[in-house]
Amino acid sequence: MTEGPDLTERELSRNDLLKLAAAAGGAALLGTRAGAAGAALSRLGAESGRLQVLDWVGYGNDGGQAMSAQYVKRYPKNKPQFTVMANEADALGKITSHAVNPDLFRPYVGWVKYFAKSGLVQPWDPKLISNFKNLNPFMVKAGQYKGKQYGIPADWGFDSILYRTDKVHPKADSFSLLFDDRYKGKITWYDDGVEMFCVVGYLFGVKNPYNQTDAQLKRAKEFLISKKHLVRNIWTSEATMNTDFASGNVWIAYAWPADYWTMKGKGLKVRYMLPKERPIAWVGMFMLLKNTPRYHLAHAYVDAWSSTKSGKWLEDNYGYGHANTKARPSSSDLLRALRLGNPRAVTEPNAHLDRDTPRRELYLKLWEEVKAS
Amino acid sequence: MTDVALSRSGARLLRGFFLLVVLFLYAPIVILLIFSFNNNNIPAFPLKGFTLHWYHQFLTNPELQGALENSASVAALSSLGAVALGVLASIALVRRRFRGKAPVSAFLLSPLVIPYLVFGISLLLLFQAVGFPHAVGHWQTLLRVVIGHVVISLPYTILVLMPRLQQIDVSLEEAAYDLGASHLRTFRSITLPLLLPAVVSAYLIAFTTSFDEYAVASFVKGTLQTFPIYLYAALRDPYQLPQVISVAVVVITISLIVVIAAEVGRRVAERRLGAL
Amino acid sequence: MEVTSPAEGAPRKRIAPSADLTTPSLLGLPLAWLVVFFLVPIGIVAAYSVDVLHLPITLGPHGFTLQAWHDFLHGSTYLGLFWKSVKLSLIVSAVVVLFAYPLAYYLALSGTKRKYVLLLLLIAPFLTSYLLRVLAWKVLLGDEGPINSFLFSTGLRSPDHPLTLIDTRFAVMLVLGYIWLPFVALPIFVSLESLDRRLLEAASDLGAGRLQAFWRVTLPLSAPGVFAAFLFVFIPTLGEFVTPSLVGGTSGYMYGNAIVSKFQTGFPDWKGGSVLALFLLGVVGLLTVVFARFLQPKQVVTE
Repeated sequence: MTEGPDLTERELSRNDLLKLAAAAGGAALLGTRAGAAGAALSRLGAESGRLQVLDWVGYGNDGGQAMSAQYVKRYPKNKPQFTVMANEADALGKITSHAVNPDLFRPYVGWVKYFAKSGLVQPWDPKLISNFKNLNPFMVKAGQYKGKQYGIPADWGFDSILYRTDKVHPKADSFSLLFDDRYKGKITWYDDGVEMFCVVGYLFGVKNPYNQTDAQLKRAKEFLISKKHLVRNIWTSEATMNTDFASGNVWIAYAWPADYWTMKGKGLKVRYMLPKERPIAWVGMFMLLKNTPRYHLAHAYVDAWSSTKSGKWLEDNYGYGHANTKARPSSSDLLRALRLGNPRAVTEPNAHLDRDTPRRELYLKLWEEVKAS
Repeated sequence: MTDVALSRSGARLLRGFFLLVVLFLYAPIVILLIFSFNNNNIPAFPLKGFTLHWYHQFLTNPELQGALENSASVAALSSLGAVALGVLASIALVRRRFRGKAPVSAFLLSPLVIPYLVFGISLLLLFQAVGFPHAVGHWQTLLRVVIGHVVISLPYTILVLMPRLQQIDVSLEEAAYDLGASHLRTFRSITLPLLLPAVVSAYLIAFTTSFDEYAVASFVKGTLQTFPIYLYAALRDPYQLPQVISVAVVVITISLIVVIAAEVGRRVAERRLGAL
Repeated sequence: MEVTSPAEGAPRKRIAPSADLTTPSLLGLPLAWLVVFFLVPIGIVAAYSVDVLHLPITLGPHGFTLQAWHDFLHGSTYLGLFWKSVKLSLIVSAVVVLFAYPLAYYLALSGTKRKYVLLLLLIAPFLTSYLLRVLAWKVLLGDEGPINSFLFSTGLRSPDHPLTLIDTRFAVMLVLGYIWLPFVALPIFVSLESLDRRLLEAASDLGAGRLQAFWRVTLPLSAPGVFAAFLFVFIPTLGEFVTPSLVGGTSGYMYGNAIVSKFQTGFPDWKGGSVLALFLLGVVGLLTVVFARFLQPKQVVTE
């Protein structure tokens, strides 16, 4: 993340100022044209500089450039400048402490309500996004709060279990495999308190694991602590988990569909299990920061991301689904394995879509205690 | 004298032990060196042939170079600050009399005992409280890290400068005073030239400390990427591993050379300058 | 305005130089810098820990409360983690000092001609990049890394059962020991070097064997160096989070990791995190003060 061409920014604003002055002078002279000039002026004057994007690893200049290629082509002077968010909590911390001042970022669907209520973000204007009409309606709905479109769906997939078929023989297609005593030291969990507590919740048949009672949470916490000794590590970086898996350090992983695709590509005998409790599903949601000076540019960026072309690229290269229903991967294998053709794949009863967790702070606090025990 | 502290066989035993430890210390670095030329994505045996690919990759990696530049800027600036403050403090501690020298020197050296994790957090909270983070231009984020590194490096510069200052004969300065020179003039013309090797040494120590510092930087850096920040991220992304290994080898080699040259240079310069 | 007369036993009458570099003007800047950027921040951390200051996103009533401290001291999780980290740090520090002592002894007392060169050779790795040296071990300790592949090739272990070296508490201790060993030899070396050889000769004259002389003379006199060395490694190790996160896995999770997750990767909890951070600082500060009396810093300050 080389720091952007600050010089260009300043030059831009100087140029803009000159143009502003000229236009203002011209507008004053022409009088009746003032309205149109005013609109053009406000647009020009308000939106300059590089688009500040806060996104996950692998979606910036470290691999994901193709997703925004159309935007970059159209607005070369406002190329995106990426900062990495380790996860949504990290993004929350960075945004509120003003360590980073992004224009947009990409939390996942479970956080939409939280951020919408936080006052940190503003809703999108779907009219400014040409590809909006092609986006999966279920996912679009999931991105709404109080009727406004706070989140624009981007990528989607499942949280489930990846395991080596040559080393592991699960007793059943169930989340219980993550807690199987037979495979001590060969299991890796994902470092997200909400997801892990929900997995346990679904395993125990809890109705809505995203809003568990204190007693249920206590039981889940004790269960996790009791099973922790089976776990080699708790991964935060997908790439590290992939290496661990590929090198045989772990045989069972809490994983995403892309990981299955990657391991299969390395020639490993793997299976991506969709458990009888039904997998958890997630959708990435672009959200727009409240006081962004680059409102239209942000929309243009998201529009590029939402295009069929970008969608196809994502599915082909990252093995994730894309919200654009017209985007189809080149491989029919992938299409089938990841249920990419089914627009209802992420909804009940097929999967449990991540949702708002009102007591998220408590979940994460308890998870920290699980890790610290 | 040797016989009193160590028997001959004892000395031999210890020498063997010393060599073993040195081997242990350098072996991982040597292994990194080997793998940096290894034609394989994953650093593991058996070796798969010689290649310069990883070196080439890192030389054409703008993000990495940006991070290196940032680290160099931060280190250069913060070391300057630390040395300047260190010189001031050292003069006061060595050449001046005042009450409370012990607590003052303890305070000046206290950053040595704070875990950098805690210090980094405290700076983050400070910047948050005063609203500094609202500025996220390149130089502002750089400044945040520089401020932290000056604090960290200050004790080291004092520890290097003070002994040297004590070595410098006070009567030289007094002679200058007798001739009517002011403190400042005396310092510039007499003390500083004699102090120079230690100043350079202090600067280099501060520089290497800052260049390598991860913990504090990670909390206050905002959008800035310093070299250790880049490294830490790359360490978790195994696809960058071979490239990072070649960077590792280069950086370690350079720092080894610089450290050794600096120390040797300092001793030579000080011996030449005499002043004892 | 201070009149400075640094001379000792000067016979001539001294003309006081125009005192433009007075003590206050010298100390003013460094002290101010530390107060503003070192003391004040710690005070702010304290403020966060008692909810006098808070992050904008945290809900609920705010105001001075010791609740977070109470939760920490009476809950077992984080205190337990703290003791776990203390134990680990103690082991690492003890082992490292144990290894460093003979090295320093050899350099200082064997009469070897190139002792400073050898000392430099020993210390140099410490002055290179910390992260890169951790990386080296990450590469070495993997299940299919050099150590294990060597074991496979010699048949000492089968490829199906590699030695689990990484993602363990052992890995954390090994790497931390490796990192600090060079640096720790330094204070021991300094105190051994300043040892008056005549004392040893006197001991030998009085009939003491080498071992006895070591035990009764050298060791006690080098104790300040040993204590300093121990502190040099114990204090940073207690707050470690980078190495545990890279090679520690689940069991290698340490107190420092818990603090970091309160500020970075986990849900921002600056109040709880400040409590943890201050507690660590308090313990470290206490240790330093207690040990300071044993350290007898080698006349760093001339009164």
